[in-house]
Amino acid sequence: MTDRHDPAPYIDLKGIRKGYRIGTETVSIFADLDLAIAGGAFVAIMGPSGSGKSTLLNMLAGIESPDAGQLMIGGNRLDRMGEASRTAWRAHNMGMVFQFYNLLPMLTAAENVELPLLLKPLSGKERRLRTEKVLDLVGLAGREKQYPTRMSGGQQQRVGIARAIVADPGLLLCDEPTGDLDRKSADDILAMLGFLNRELCKTIVMVTHDPQAARHANRVLHLDKGEFAEERSAA
Amino acid sequence: MTFFRFTWKNIWRKPLRTLLLTVCVSVAFLIYGLTASFLAGAQGSAGSSDDILGVMSSAGRSHPLPLALLPRITSTPGVAAVTYTARLRGFVGTEKNVVNLTATDPDALLAINGRELGLSADLVGALGAARDRILVGRALADAQGWTVGQQVALTAFQTARQDGDRNWRFEIAGIFEGENASTDTYFMIGRYDYLNAARARDKDTVDAFILRPGDGVSTGALAARIDAAFANSASPTRTQSEKQFLEAFLRQYADVGLIIDLVVGASFTTLLLIVVNTMVFAIRERTFEIGLLKTLGFSRWRILSLVLGETLLIFLAGGVLGLALAKLGAGIAGPALGLILSAVVLAKALALILGLGLATGALPAANAMRIPVTAAFRTR
Ligand SMILES: Nc1ncnc2c1ncn2[C@@H]1O[C@H](COP(=O)(O)OP(=O)(O)OP(=O)(O)O)[C@@H](O)[C@H]1O
Ligand SMILES: [Mg+2]
Repeated sequence: MTDRHDPAPYIDLKGIRKGYRIGTETVSIFADLDLAIAGGAFVAIMGPSGSGKSTLLNMLAGIESPDAGQLMIGGNRLDRMGEASRTAWRAHNMGMVFQFYNLLPMLTAAENVELPLLLKPLSGKERRLRTEKVLDLVGLAGREKQYPTRMSGGQQQRVGIARAIVADPGLLLCDEPTGDLDRKSADDILAMLGFLNRELCKTIVMVTHDPQAARHANRVLHLDKGEFAEERSAA
Repeated sequence: MTFFRFTWKNIWRKPLRTLLLTVCVSVAFLIYGLTASFLAGAQGSAGSSDDILGVMSSAGRSHPLPLALLPRITSTPGVAAVTYTARLRGFVGTEKNVVNLTATDPDALLAINGRELGLSADLVGALGAARDRILVGRALADAQGWTVGQQVALTAFQTARQDGDRNWRFEIAGIFEGENASTDTYFMIGRYDYLNAARARDKDTVDAFILRPGDGVSTGALAARIDAAFANSASPTRTQSEKQFLEAFLRQYADVGLIIDLVVGASFTTLLLIVVNTMVFAIRERTFEIGLLKTLGFSRWRILSLVLGETLLIFLAGGVLGLALAKLGAGIAGPALGLILSAVVLAKALALILGLGLATGALPAANAMRIPVTAAFRTR
């Protein structure tokens, strides 16, 4: 499945094969998957449980590698990189947002957000300024010193988003970012992702079960049995 | 936030666990600090000389030798200089405050042992000014708070004066410093002529002759020659180097060095097991988080150093605390017990802190480093 409007897609998957060994058997998740996503797109991926959505997202994040095929993001062949280079690549090019936020409980909101910046050659002051800026952006100004365990789910997910964008990556990968939130908080988070996509030009790939959430995306893919079954482009 | 602060916050997630680990480490290093000080100190034999010989009665330390042996010892070939000593053991103030006075011929002592004890011609000269004058070692003077010119009243355990009184009065003529930290300076030097004249019994006897062999003379051969000369006399002798004497003295009780090595080795082995075990579990609890850090872009080496940093910090905190306590202990009980927490002991302890910190961190850190990102996520 290629995006014919963009000659050089930002994300380009060709002939991806991926399976898991369970005992002696190999269970195939993807046999021959193609996918092209243009830079600046906001893509929602839907599909039944076990269809391989998280597996796909993890491959895009360079956390899992395909058994075969080409996995190109922003001109980098992730399938050809070793673990160390993929880790370094992640630090600079990608932010991840999780269903259960995955914040570190012993760190304050600001410290959680600042964590990825420790990997950058920035002074303590620059790190603090950047952290403040993104916390402000996600509407958490003034809560820098609060611990995540004292925050609502919606607030925690904002911290999660702030952490994902603080190092200013081009790509945001979200695995059911609203799966654990009530409608109101979910809509806030989705609006925020839309804002990041429109105003800060982040390319977003979001896995979701929520048809409402998919509405915020400008492209929706349905994954079933290792293949994209249909596609709906939002207006 | 910095990496250090991040490590710090990780350490204090389980305050009780960290506290207990730190206490473990500090106890181990307290034991190490005290035992190493003991070995390095004057009670151990490290600071004592191998080339000064002592001639004592073969019947034992408490049997004196006649001073009349002096000419024959002096004229033994290979002997460069000889002096003689009589001991005055007693206490000052309370009975627990035991002190020793070595009565000798000061000029001869200067020739034999002057450098090791830090004696100077001036000090020895001050001693000569009056018969009841003494020189006090630095460790003893500091422990008792004595200064030059002060009077010291010593009650002897056995040695009585001619009138039967066991109280002796001396005046401090000077303080000798010792050549270095491991020199035993917890004693006093007095004049033999005075002690000998004033005491009621054991007149004209000595507890030991101290001699320095001439250049190039084998101490072992010289000792054998002297003992052979007196073997069939009325006062057979036993000649040993100061070091041999102290080692033999300590071995009376047991092989102290070996026991100390065993104790220290056991405490460090236990420590190693406790800390490795605890840290392995602490890291296993954090498998998910470590996977998360990897998704954020933390490399394997950063993860490794984070975990190593944690154990190192615990070892540094505990180790420094333990050594500080050892230093305090050596300071309080030190001079009398011969405990010396020297720079060498401290340097070795620091090397041990770093070495053990890294060694105990290695296994959990390697485990953490190897956690695959995905496996971490599947634990949820
Ligand atoms: N490490 C693994 N080992 C074995 N099987 C795995 C592994 N990871 C995923 N699978 C299997 O691969 C399939 C796809 O899993 P994946 O997590 O990608 O699904 P998903 O679409 O995200 O599902 P859900 O909506 O429930 O999150 C599932 O059948 C899952 O059991
Ligand atoms: Mg999933």
